[in-house]
Order: sequence, then C-alpha cells, then structure tokens
Amino acid sequence: MGRSLVYKRRRCGRVAEGETNLAEDPVRLDGLGYEAGGQAILSGITLHSGAQKIGVVGRNGSGKSTLSRLMAGLLKPASGTVRIEGVDVYADRRAALRTVGILFQNPEHQIIFPTVGEEIAFGLRQLGATAAEAQEQTRATLLRFDRAHWLDAPVSALSQGQKHLVCMMAVLAMQPRLLILDEPFAGLDIPTKRQLARHLDRSGARLFHISHDPADLAGYDQLYWLEQGRIIAEGPPAVLLPEFTAEMMRLGDQDDLADISA
Amino acid sequence: MISLTSPHRTRAHDWPAGLKLAGLCLASTAVFLTDDPWVMAGLLAALALAYALPGRAFLRAGARALRLVLPFVVLMLVWHLFTRDLRMGLMISMRMVLLVGLANLVTMTTSLQGMMGVMRWLLTPFRRLGLPTHLLETAIPLTIRFTPVLIARADALALAWRARAARRPGWRLVLPLMMQALDDADHVGEALRARGGPLKPAEQED
Repeated sequence: MGRSLVYKRRRCGRVAEGETNLAEDPVRLDGLGYEAGGQAILSGITLHSGAQKIGVVGRNGSGKSTLSRLMAGLLKPASGTVRIEGVDVYADRRAALRTVGILFQNPEHQIIFPTVGEEIAFGLRQLGATAAEAQEQTRATLLRFDRAHWLDAPVSALSQGQKHLVCMMAVLAMQPRLLILDEPFAGLDIPTKRQLARHLDRSGARLFHISHDPADLAGYDQLYWLEQGRIIAEGPPAVLLPEFTAEMMRLGDQDDLADISA
Repeated sequence: MISLTSPHRTRAHDWPAGLKLAGLCLASTAVFLTDDPWVMAGLLAALALAYALPGRAFLRAGARALRLVLPFVVLMLVWHLFTRDLRMGLMISMRMVLLVGLANLVTMTTSLQGMMGVMRWLLTPFRRLGLPTHLLETAIPLTIRFTPVLIARADALALAWRARAARRPGWRLVLPLMMQALDDADHVGEALRARGGPLKPAEQED
C-alpha cells in the first residue's frame, strides 16, 4: 500500500532566462520511465536544462540512483529518452564515454584496479589512448590534483576520502561534458566534502548532482525535487530547498517507516 | 594487503617486462642443469645479493614473500631425512627457493600493466582467431583488486556475527559472503560499463 499523497509538479520561483532553450538544452530527459519487477521506479520524467550546476533532491527510495544510472546510460529506459549533448547515452556507448561520467556513492563499487595509476589509465585507454598516451595523461591528471606521488599507490592503502578522490580523478581524466554525481559525499566528514566539492567546481564539467541532503545543493543553479519516481517541483535552491527541508521535517515527525513498497 | 609490485623503485622496474619474463624462463631452466650443491649455494648467495641491493625495505618485503616456501622446504628436508638422502633433499630445497625467489624478483619489479602487456602479446594468435582476449586482461587486475575487498567483507560479517552471538561464526557465513560477492560483481560490472569496460580499446580493433 503506497501513500495516497499526490504531488503535482509546480515551478517554484522564476527560472532564469536562457536556461530553458528547448532546442539546445544539453541535458534533455523526455517522458523517462523505468520499471523493475513490474513496479514503476521512475515515470514521466521530463527535464530540460542548460544550467551549469543542476541538482536533484529526494528522499531515500525516491528513484535517485535509478535516475543517475539512466542518465549515465547504464540502464535501458522502459519508456522515454535520455539525450545528453545530443547523444543517446544508452545506445551509443562510445559517444557516451566522451559525454557523461558518473561518480557512485561508494568508491569500492567504482574502483576497478589495484593501483591509482591503473585506475585512471583505464578510462583513457577505453577512449582510444595508447598505453604511452594514457600513462602521460594519467601523470598529468595526478599533477593537476597535486597527487603526483599517488601513481603507484595501492588503492587498498587509501582512506575513504582518498578513494573518493581517486574515483573523481579517474572520471575527470576522461573529460566528460556532464558529470553525474550520485550522493558522492554521503558519509564523508565536512573538510573532505568541502575539498572534493572544490575539485568538482574547478573541473569545468557540467554537474548533475543527486542528493538527499539540501546542504550539498545550496550553491546550485537549478534544482529538481524527486518524489516517488516523479519530479514534483523545480526551481532555484533559495526557494526549493526551504520547502523541501520543511516537508522532510514534517514527514520526520510522522511515522512512514511502516510502509513496505515491495 | 596485496601489492605484489614493490613500491620501492629499482633500476629493474624500468627493464621491459617481456625481457624479464624471458630471462626468468631461461634461468629457471638453467637451474635444473646443475647437480652441484656448491654451485647451487653460490646461485642462492647471488639471489640474496640481488634482493639486498635495492635496500633494506625491498629485502624485507622479498623475505616476507619467500616465507611462503618455508613449509615446503621443511617438509622436503624431513622427508629426505627419512629416506636417508639428505643431499637430494638439500638440492631440491635450494632449487625450490631459487625458482620462487627469481620469479618473485620479477614480480616485485614489474608493474601489473607490464605483465598485462606481455600477456596481450602472447595472446595475439588467439585474438586473431577472434577470441575476446581483452576480457582476460581486465579479469586479472580485478582479481588482485578485489581479494582484499572480499577479505574485508568476510571480516565485517564475522564482526557483525560476533556482536550478537556468543559462538564463533563458521560455515554459515559462506552464503551471505557469496551473496555480497555477487552484489559486488554487479556494481563492478556497472562501473566497467560506465567507463567503457566491455568495449575493446580502440587500438585493439584489428
């Protein structure tokens, strides 16, 4: 039994001019839906944005991770389309590699290789670099992050925050146009969070950051509120985040942990 | 923690991996050509010198890796004590230490990428036949990466068990550990796909 709450999508505040030029918006989701085991996880997601820092807030289980995986082209949409910079990221994997990068919540789920250098070089090789070129670009990436001495470091010796940074370097080395962040800061302490966020801001990539924590998204240009697999509101953080926080507080005072949605 | 390649840079790190592996093949064969325990002892001394040259840290790491052969050496000596052929036992033991020591020396001074490069070259005929050899090149580093992860998973499960049980965990952790490993495999599959894993690198398309 799901809750009978019905949300209607509304627009909070004014969206800045020029940010919704439909023909050229680099991030375009149209009628996007996804199902698992006959249950709708996401439905009717339409989102067009040209903002540099796009954020999505939502509770646990609202479909955030599914959305990030659809946008990275890792899942096949049940309905609708995902186009990033004009690329169908699920169908055209080669083009997708140059277009989108994704940072997962848990670095253990992302790091494939035993040393930092190999982890970074892997994606570059997939983009077509020769071994020597990949080595060169790996060194350059490490240097850019001031971590030249990490080249041969074994991943198993790194701290959690350091592993996050390795994931970030490995993805940014591939120079994606859009970087998808799936709760990348969950469980990290405040200094680590701030350092990683600074690296992200400097990367130059368009950011699509999905989080349950309003604090992560305060400095973003355009926000969307995801609830029960639908976007129920959009707007600038100054308007949307206080509303979101108030609603989360209200729900927190109730008891909705009893519902089992399976 | 598994890091077979020594972080301590030596001059041998820069030698081509193929050359080192070919040299290892030759040397390993040559070890069987002599039957003189003195020659063997001399070779062992040379091996020890090779381990000692890059410095103390390298020597200690090497000695740790070689501890693995110790039980076999003891077993071999005890057995030959019984068969009253101690000379034979000594020869076999020294040969064993020499072989493992040489191989470990190559391992410690060769990066995984270097090894994979040689393997890729050796697999060329199979690739020509159309076999997807690039899958093997990903599988080996994955194994090395996830061995410590799986050990940590097993430790965490054992801790969770002991936090709520008086008796020690046993075989009952095998199934949950397996499920977690499968779950991990799903995540790695996803991470591979996110960065083009199942695709072949462009230059391999021949």
